[in-house]
Amino acid sequence: MSRLEAKKPPLFISEPLTGDAVSQSLSLLSGILKSSYGPAGRLKQLHNGVGGCVCTTSQSSALLGHLSVSQPVLRVLTASVRNHVSRFSDCGLFTAILCCGFIENFRSLNVAPFTVIKISKHLLSLCMDHLKSEACGCRVSVDFSSVETLVCLVRSILTSKPACMLNKTEVDHLTSLVLKAFIFTVPCHVETNAVLGKCVIIPVKGRRVVDSTVLPGLLIETPEIQLENSLAVKRTGSNMIKIALFSVSMSGDGFNPEEGTIAVQHGVSLEVSELNQLLNVGKQLVKDEVGLVVCQKVMHPSLKQYLKENGVMAVDRAGLSLMEPLGRMTGSQPIASIHSLSPGCYGSLKDLCFEGFASKHFLHLIPEDTVICSLVLCNRSETAWDELKRVCETAEHVLQLTVKEPLALLGGGCTETHLASYIRHKSSSLPASTFKDLDCSQTQYQLVADGFCRSLESVARSLSHDGEEILTDMVYGHCWFVPSGSPCVSKWSDLVSKCGCGMNGNTEDLSWRFLQYQSGSPFIQACPKEPSVKVADLLTLDCFAAKCSGLQVALETANLILDLSYIIEDQN
Amino acid sequence: MSRLLGRRFAELHAAVPGLPLASSRVLPGVVLRRDFAAYCPTDGELRALLVTEPLRPALTAPGVEFVVDSEGQYQASLRWIAERTEALMKRLQSNNVKLLLSSVKQEEVVIYSAKLYGVSVVECLSSEEMALISEITGVSPYAPFSDNMDREMTETAVVTFCQPLLLASKRCVHIGFTSVCAFQPHCLILCGPVDGVNEQHAAALQEAFTMLQQLFKTVDQREEGWKAEGESQSEASDICTWHSSAAQKQVVIENTCNINQVSECQLKALSDETERKILESDLLVHNRKNHSALVSVAHNTDTVTACEGLDVGKGLEKACCHVVPFKREENCAGIAQDYSNCLIEAGSVLPVGGYFEILLHYYIQDYAKQCQQSEVIIVSNTVADALLSIPKALYQTAERDGFTKFYLEAVNLLRKNQPLPVNDEGLESVYCKYQLVISVLHCVTELLSIDLVIGIRRPLQKTEDRDSEDDS
Repeated sequence: MSRLEAKKPPLFISEPLTGDAVSQSLSLLSGILKSSYGPAGRLKQLHNGVGGCVCTTSQSSALLGHLSVSQPVLRVLTASVRNHVSRFSDCGLFTAILCCGFIENFRSLNVAPFTVIKISKHLLSLCMDHLKSEACGCRVSVDFSSVETLVCLVRSILTSKPACMLNKTEVDHLTSLVLKAFIFTVPCHVETNAVLGKCVIIPVKGRRVVDSTVLPGLLIETPEIQLENSLAVKRTGSNMIKIALFSVSMSGDGFNPEEGTIAVQHGVSLEVSELNQLLNVGKQLVKDEVGLVVCQKVMHPSLKQYLKENGVMAVDRAGLSLMEPLGRMTGSQPIASIHSLSPGCYGSLKDLCFEGFASKHFLHLIPEDTVICSLVLCNRSETAWDELKRVCETAEHVLQLTVKEPLALLGGGCTETHLASYIRHKSSSLPASTFKDLDCSQTQYQLVADGFCRSLESVARSLSHDGEEILTDMVYGHCWFVPSGSPCVSKWSDLVSKCGCGMNGNTEDLSWRFLQYQSGSPFIQACPKEPSVKVADLLTLDCFAAKCSGLQVALETANLILDLSYIIEDQN
Repeated sequence: MSRLLGRRFAELHAAVPGLPLASSRVLPGVVLRRDFAAYCPTDGELRALLVTEPLRPALTAPGVEFVVDSEGQYQASLRWIAERTEALMKRLQSNNVKLLLSSVKQEEVVIYSAKLYGVSVVECLSSEEMALISEITGVSPYAPFSDNMDREMTETAVVTFCQPLLLASKRCVHIGFTSVCAFQPHCLILCGPVDGVNEQHAAALQEAFTMLQQLFKTVDQREEGWKAEGESQSEASDICTWHSSAAQKQVVIENTCNINQVSECQLKALSDETERKILESDLLVHNRKNHSALVSVAHNTDTVTACEGLDVGKGLEKACCHVVPFKREENCAGIAQDYSNCLIEAGSVLPVGGYFEILLHYYIQDYAKQCQQSEVIIVSNTVADALLSIPKALYQTAERDGFTKFYLEAVNLLRKNQPLPVNDEGLESVYCKYQLVISVLHCVTELLSIDLVIGIRRPLQKTEDRDSEDDS
């Protein structure tokens, strides 16, 4: 009999946000996230004292996935950010830093949480309306007929994670590969319901990044070293290669484990019977002029030998993950029975060849119509490769999101400072009816709006890690970085050359001011303008969908946390 | 319709964590939270078949021995199974069945041949999902081998569309069914930053549907409408115990009230019309010595609650509240004649913000003033004061003296017989509030009647609830 342990009473914490422990944990978490943010972000090394792998990263998904957060309040925050990342891949750190900022700024206000939540929701709706309007100065539309903006978008993502250890040439090379891979996945013949294809990442570790490449079609790793360079594969009349895909095991031990018993009489061998059936399938395949047989599971050596003798190439142990793209690429139907073989299941390939990368050997399946491609991704170290893989996946995902909504937001802190300027301007000119509707005073509204703007600006400030001074201009509301240790000069334009996103230069007087805005100092914020011409070709851009959703999720999560007055924790 | 929604809400919504709340939406049709086992795109209307068993015939079964005489026989058997599976798919195809909805996992061979014949397959549907689909389409599951293979497939559901739906980067199945009932299936996609938030929103919505079901219930003077309404009254029937004893024209009231004294009294039926019922009302029964007095209190309490209900309902409809003159009579039938049959009309609502409690407080106090028994007066006043704890809690956060202000304003208006202010913050169902008050009174009575708590070693055996069969 198992011992019964007395149930512990639940832990009851009231006003969970007022405790010192929570404040400390929050500022620690916020510090970790802020210090990781942006191209100059500091890396975090995650490792277990017992041993095993080490992960060097500045990515929110890797960081939050490994950090053990004990405070229930912060667990809500991390869960929220991880959910966001699983939807959008991008803007995880932005969401997390902003959420921490909202919590820190709002709870120090002497305004009831209920009122703060109402006002901040109103502020969020102002932001969202602005971001969705044509007149929004911090968004650019993405033109898919040229690669220019797409290059900016991908570059910004690749350079934002320093743990990938990329130099400029490598960034350029990978940017073009990621874009190429994405363009491969766009179907050429668009039907009513166009579905994007898939880019499969093939790991090759210990090689230079510039050795990475993109190939149309799929690569299947083959353990045997095939010496023949030119493949003599059987082709059909139209010079195509017929392919058969098997999802069922062809090892000859495929008796169905059914309930009940099978009694075998003396002299009868089910193994022989199964093998005979397999060879029958082989005969049928040869007769049907199949050139390549791919089996997801194991293939019986006799069958393999038989197919080889008859000029049919056989690949087994392809694995489940390859089956779907293989089926889609070749138009074949994975066969799940060795008893009924329908000719309609066969697919076709344009060509077949061998490729070798580092010490690995691959069979390269080249399709007629490519929506499936392989990105052979190389990096020197294991941990840098892991980081690079996550970054490339993010970039592919961001491109897919951008197809749905062809917009991008200015990066480099400019969207954040622009939105803050916009909110400061907008909140000072609201009609009295707004305050009445929200059941708050104008002072309360201003306090919350100020906290809201400071939270946004704190995200922009997190981009600076070396003590750079941060400015914002009063015309466009963009973000400017002054190198640390700059001499004192009378004109800011002598120190700054272009803004964070690279859209504006220092040619006109933009009346800069410090971003570390003192809430006491009065100034009138005009509505930030939309820049007429851009200065640099290489803008820093962020994913529109991910950032918009991140902004909303950050505020919703912060409000949820601010609204907590009790935490009841089950200790059993 | 709201009943089906409330009951099947778990199957009629899908939660997506990681998206802002504003992304929530309503989609036509039903969303099944799993991917297709086989998906064959089709255009236009098609038919769907519900199955609950494997479609591939088995070689053996538990307790059955399959004897293999020769290799040829074994292969022939396997071939027969494959052909049989294929033949079934062929039949489905000829009947325009292009969607299989299976509650069990099907063999790979079945999926394979379904793909060959252009039949989409969704497996592992929960019994709740199967029940929902059956309810919407009026179709019951098909037994593939139990009957004649050539029989016409009549039990098929009409599907207007059937497509994959990407929810939170997970592929789901999105099906539009042609409904045979009033309920046109729609699915709610709930978005929120974390799962916990979605769960709470889902629970709140489900409770809202439960509330809406209750909203259209009525309470009539003699509580008969209540029972006639019937369904899903398991909780309600806990509140009031009904004893049907028409034959004996006698009603038993259990009074577990006074300090360690259980009094069981037999009472004469109140009248011919009300012979079947009496409301258990033990709150006011304190130290009753004589039975007739008990009866009078019993139906007085009944009437008190009833009267409040009546006035609350009326007040809301006319947006002004009258104090209905209350005549105390020993004869219950007399009371029944004095008032209209309906105490709470279907769909009665009141503005939120403590108005129900203030109204009930006001009327109970008013009733107490007309009362003669001192016990009734004391208890009435206690209940009336307790009701104020709700508006007190509501107004304590807003500002200081918020409650006093609210109370004085409301009571002044009531005294002058003027309508109460209507806010636009929300409404609450009078019927639900009425049930709530009864439950609370019942609970309080029970608690007050306990004089000893005894700890025991072995857990109590749960006795089967005999009244549960009226729950639909």
